[in-house]
Amino acid sequence: MSTKDRKERIELLQGTLDLLILRTLLLGPTHGHAIARAIEVNSDDVLQIEQGSLYPALHRLIKRGWIAVEEGTSENNRRAKFYRLTFRGRRQLAIETSKWDRLAGAIARILRPAEQGGEL
Amino acid sequence: MRRRTRMLQDLDRDIRDHIEKETQDNIERGMPAEEARYAALRKFGNVTRVTEDTRDLWSFVWIEQLIQDVRFGLRMLRKSPGFTAIAVSTLALGIGANTAIFSMVNALLLHPYSFRNLDRMVLVWQDSGSDAALDNRYIAPADAADIATYTRIFDSMATYRCHNFALTSTADVQPVNGCGVSANFFELLGVAPALGRTFAPSEQQAGLDSVAVVGYGFWQRQLGGDQSAIGKSIQLNGHAYTVVGIMPADFNFPVPMQLWVPLALAPAERANRAQLSIQAIARLKDGVSADQARAALTGFSTRLTAMYPTSNTGRRATLIELRRELYQYTLPLFSLLQIAAGLVLLLACANLANLLFALMVGRQKQIAMRAALGASRRRLAQHFVSETIVFSLIAGIAAVFVSLWTVKLLRTSISPDWTKWVPGWSGIRVDASVLVFTIGLAVIVGAFFGLAALYHAGRVDLNQTLKEGGPGSMTRSRVRLRSALVVVQVMFALVLLVCAGLTSQGFQRLANVYAGFQPETVMKLEPVLPANSYADASKIALFYRQLLQQTSSLPGVTAAAVVDNPPASNVDSDTASFVIEGLAPPTRGETPSADLQIASSDYFRTLRIGVLSGRAFSDADNAGTPLVALVSRSMAAKFWPHADPIGQHIRLTESGAAASWLTIVGVVDDVRQNWWDTLTQPTIYQPMLQAPERGLALLLRANANPVGYVSSVRAIIRQLDSTVAIAGVSSFDHQVNDSIGIVRIMGTLMGVFGALALALSGVGVYGVLAESVAQRTREIGIRVALGARPADVRRLVLWNAMKLTGIGLAIAVPVSLGVNKAMASLVFGIVSMDFGVVAAFTAVLLLVAVAACYIPARRAMRVDPIVALRYE
Repeated sequence: MSTKDRKERIELLQGTLDLLILRTLLLGPTHGHAIARAIEVNSDDVLQIEQGSLYPALHRLIKRGWIAVEEGTSENNRRAKFYRLTFRGRRQLAIETSKWDRLAGAIARILRPAEQGGEL
Repeated sequence: MRRRTRMLQDLDRDIRDHIEKETQDNIERGMPAEEARYAALRKFGNVTRVTEDTRDLWSFVWIEQLIQDVRFGLRMLRKSPGFTAIAVSTLALGIGANTAIFSMVNALLLHPYSFRNLDRMVLVWQDSGSDAALDNRYIAPADAADIATYTRIFDSMATYRCHNFALTSTADVQPVNGCGVSANFFELLGVAPALGRTFAPSEQQAGLDSVAVVGYGFWQRQLGGDQSAIGKSIQLNGHAYTVVGIMPADFNFPVPMQLWVPLALAPAERANRAQLSIQAIARLKDGVSADQARAALTGFSTRLTAMYPTSNTGRRATLIELRRELYQYTLPLFSLLQIAAGLVLLLACANLANLLFALMVGRQKQIAMRAALGASRRRLAQHFVSETIVFSLIAGIAAVFVSLWTVKLLRTSISPDWTKWVPGWSGIRVDASVLVFTIGLAVIVGAFFGLAALYHAGRVDLNQTLKEGGPGSMTRSRVRLRSALVVVQVMFALVLLVCAGLTSQGFQRLANVYAGFQPETVMKLEPVLPANSYADASKIALFYRQLLQQTSSLPGVTAAAVVDNPPASNVDSDTASFVIEGLAPPTRGETPSADLQIASSDYFRTLRIGVLSGRAFSDADNAGTPLVALVSRSMAAKFWPHADPIGQHIRLTESGAAASWLTIVGVVDDVRQNWWDTLTQPTIYQPMLQAPERGLALLLRANANPVGYVSSVRAIIRQLDSTVAIAGVSSFDHQVNDSIGIVRIMGTLMGVFGALALALSGVGVYGVLAESVAQRTREIGIRVALGARPADVRRLVLWNAMKLTGIGLAIAVPVSLGVNKAMASLVFGIVSMDFGVVAAFTAVLLLVAVAACYIPARRAMRVDPIVALRYE
């Protein structure tokens, strides 16, 4: 049934998006919009995320304790939420990154068996 | 939860800011303001969904769903008030009945005493080998001391002996019940005094024993109920005792006592092995089972017999768990009630299941729709379970009120004069454990039926159900299931009705037995003769003779008598073993025994007990004439089946080999001593003047208003001897009612259960038949269209009803007969085997089934074929 399908889709997206958020926050605390911009810019606008989906992901990461949130003032002098990587988040990022590398490597080897591994 | 609120509070602001920033960025890229905003919104996506997804992340989904389900459940119940009313009230009655009975069981069987470690307590006594079923549990003092010292089975053993005292410190001489107890008695039971202290071992010696521990009630009434009571002096039997302690209100061992004094035995009595004169209670050592202890006692008895052959031959020490001793009478009664209550609940559940299945079938479309829209099986199950739990909880709450009311009724319907002897009676209430029991039962029933209903009605074929235009259909297995429920209901109902009928009949018979005494014109009163001034038999005889002479000449008094143990006293009569002249002296252990009663000459006339042959006692049977005795009808039948007992000689063995022979001069009718006794208990009567004894009860038969004579009798007694106290004043009618009160309650409760069973099974049969007629409307329509006459349709419906009822009854009749047999042996004295009752209730149930299918049958007969065929 559809509930289940959607769940699976989200999960796939989730993992990736989570990883990207954690990686972005490694550069320092920042607010929601800046995270979205950073992902787009850093991927040379290849990854066009639906910006709204950022928020459930952010809240999920907070719930898991991988990022923390604090009130701050944005560049245009307005109150905004700043998200910051926690210690556990840092550790998680390391784990997720190595996992991703292995996955990407494995997929690349399957897709192009003749070449010497994939590049990312 | 608080974190969740905080996290969600700023979400909207964040989203707004986010979109604003994006718009700003777009403008900076050169877009016109309007377009920039739309682009930002597009890029963000569905704001509502984002908000909801985030919200879901923080919420406890199942709680919200539960609240939803409960709301839905309540809405459905409001929508079908008829169903709700029936379901809730039947379940409430079922659960309420169980709760009420459970609160009795809880108090009387589970918590009769507030002793430490009640399960390790045993009563120890010596069995002297007579065949009396209910020997009084006594032990010889010297043997008790040996058992306490030399066997390694008890932590400790306490001895006690109860008797009446005369309280002489007040203006009137008042009888008080008291108990002499060994110094370790209270410690053994593990109950500390509410105030003061208990006895020191040194106070067990004569001369140092003038101290008393008093009961809570005595303290309140006689000693002002304050602290200064400790150290006060009271006069008992003319001696001064110092009050040293007060027991808590719920201390009621061996029975609710007014006071306890040290059991100070004289050295001669302490060394006595011949007389079984004291009682003993002990606490088993850890790790020793009652059976092991019993075996050890048997072994020790053999050694005692070897050492003291003259006194101890044929005597065996044994024990019984205190709890089991209590259960002897109450367990069969309460098991019966609890089983009956359980059956009522089962019936209510069967009804509920029926109603639920009907409801579910009606809701198949709804279920199918939900499933089609994506509800998982688990979600559906949760939905129905919460719905049924909602109403079973409502029923549970209603049941609490039902049981509160019932418990109150139970407690107040028997006079406290009698219930104070029932350990734990004052503890009957709906307490926390009872509440837990009730609510737990409600939840379990609810959950079970939610799942069961879903299981049977919820397996729907989506396509089929959604396509069909009708209100849902019954599959073959579902029809079978519901028919099975009807069969089971009819079965349970018959069993319950038979139980109810037998019990009520037993009670009625019992009431009739006592009605034969015409107790409403008899007054009962017990003069308490002080032991020290009435040690001499002739003095006792003289007192009673004068008392009888003066009371029987009061105007309006037609007869007066004294007797050992009046009927319906709730006390077992003394038993005596005897030998019959001309028969070989029996070996020990096979000595015949019978109840022994001391009665004055007018006793049989006073209570209208028939003299069947020979003569009753007369005043000529006195100390100067040959010893005589009367025997009861069943005694005559048992021991002289082929001969005339009159003129035969018997000798009571308790009085020793030197005792004289008694000549039997007459046979009197059987008397049912107490409700638990069989009518056929052999009884020997001895004339009061030949065997005077202190502690006889006076019975006075008057033309009317017997209690009105109390003051004149008091005056007579005071004038005869002012040191004689007066106890146990009541009308005999009152005594009989109190005595059979527990049986009356049982009869009433069983009657209520039976009526409930009848109603529930009637509703059940009706429900299933009405349903099946509704389901078969089309079929019936076709039959009518093809020419079936109304009578044929009626036969069709009736046949269905009779088939189900018949199967139920066919199973239930043999079961009921079995139950009847079991009851006759368990609830002895009340219930006897009775085929009539079984037959009568079988007929009643058949009639109810016919009546229940009357309305559905009529509806079926009126089916209009055109409407029926258009029905879909």
